[in-house]
Amino acid sequence: MTNNGQFREGVKDALPVVLGYLPVGVAFGLLARNAGLTPSEVGLMSLLVYAGASQFLAIEMIFKGMTWLPVVLATFFINLRHILMSSNLSLYFKNTRLPLLGFLSAQLTDESFAVAISNLPKLKNNPPYLFGLQITSHLAWVIGSIGGALFGPLIKISEYGLPFAFPSLFICLLVFQLKSVHHFGIMVVAGASSLFFKWALQGNWYILLAALLAGGMGVVVEIVNGKQKAGGERQKAQGSKQKP
Amino acid sequence: MREEMLAIIFGMAVVTFLPRFLPMAFLTRWVIPERIRVGLGYIPTAILSAIVFPMLFFNEGGKVVIQSHHLLSAVSVFIFSWKVKRLWASVILGMLVYWGLGFIM
Repeated sequence: MTNNGQFREGVKDALPVVLGYLPVGVAFGLLARNAGLTPSEVGLMSLLVYAGASQFLAIEMIFKGMTWLPVVLATFFINLRHILMSSNLSLYFKNTRLPLLGFLSAQLTDESFAVAISNLPKLKNNPPYLFGLQITSHLAWVIGSIGGALFGPLIKISEYGLPFAFPSLFICLLVFQLKSVHHFGIMVVAGASSLFFKWALQGNWYILLAALLAGGMGVVVEIVNGKQKAGGERQKAQGSKQKP
Repeated sequence: MREEMLAIIFGMAVVTFLPRFLPMAFLTRWVIPERIRVGLGYIPTAILSAIVFPMLFFNEGGKVVIQSHHLLSAVSVFIFSWKVKRLWASVILGMLVYWGLGFIM
């Protein structure tokens, strides 16, 4: 497929994300306006920061009169979870030049990441596809926020099942990942530990901690399995030495 | 635009960019040992689970609750996407079930 075709494919795959980002963006714009931001500040923040959870937290903090340092630090810690996603994406963009990687990684979000990794053959070494997927999602976020800042008071965002758009998106993408019994095990460990960490700790550390714990267990299981398999294959190889 | 707000926005932009960019920048230029690579392959499942489960079992006030409304919708989406394997359709179905249950429950 041409670059243009790949780009369009990405735009198409972004539509479920757009469905979620528009209403949440509107909610953000509305709340940010209430917290005293102007529509242009709302738009600039959504354009440059593009991180839902930390933007909501930031306007909450700004509203309470916090200065820039605590807001920026909170944002930094909330977004540390992207380290794992960025590490994972690095597997599929070995041949991409650094400036382009910089551009692509700036638009990484939980949602577009989840969609991107749902079809690896499509994603692999395919910057136009990822760009199409991410720029469309990003635009929806910016347009939603500005729309919310301008017209928010006229729209009801709690209607028509919209609050369940993101849970549905994530559940479906999780189902796509469940390719083996190991993946089910990872799901159970990550799910249970995320509930525990969220209950026990402040903020959204639970995603990073639970994912590290479950991913770490996955590596251990894989190493143990690999050793068993390697042992088995060595025996097999010895048994069939006579054959050419 | 106010200077303080610009400082906040640019500061946030920088600190959100770093964890998005640095791992990709370094790991794509480094040959990753097989075991770590396999572990990284489990990360999507782990992250998605760590996002989904708290969404279902915590309410907006941050309290642990059994919300049958959420759980029934979630199970429907799970089964539907397992069978149908269509992202779009699953999101629409989830919203419809959630919306519909709102009238019953």
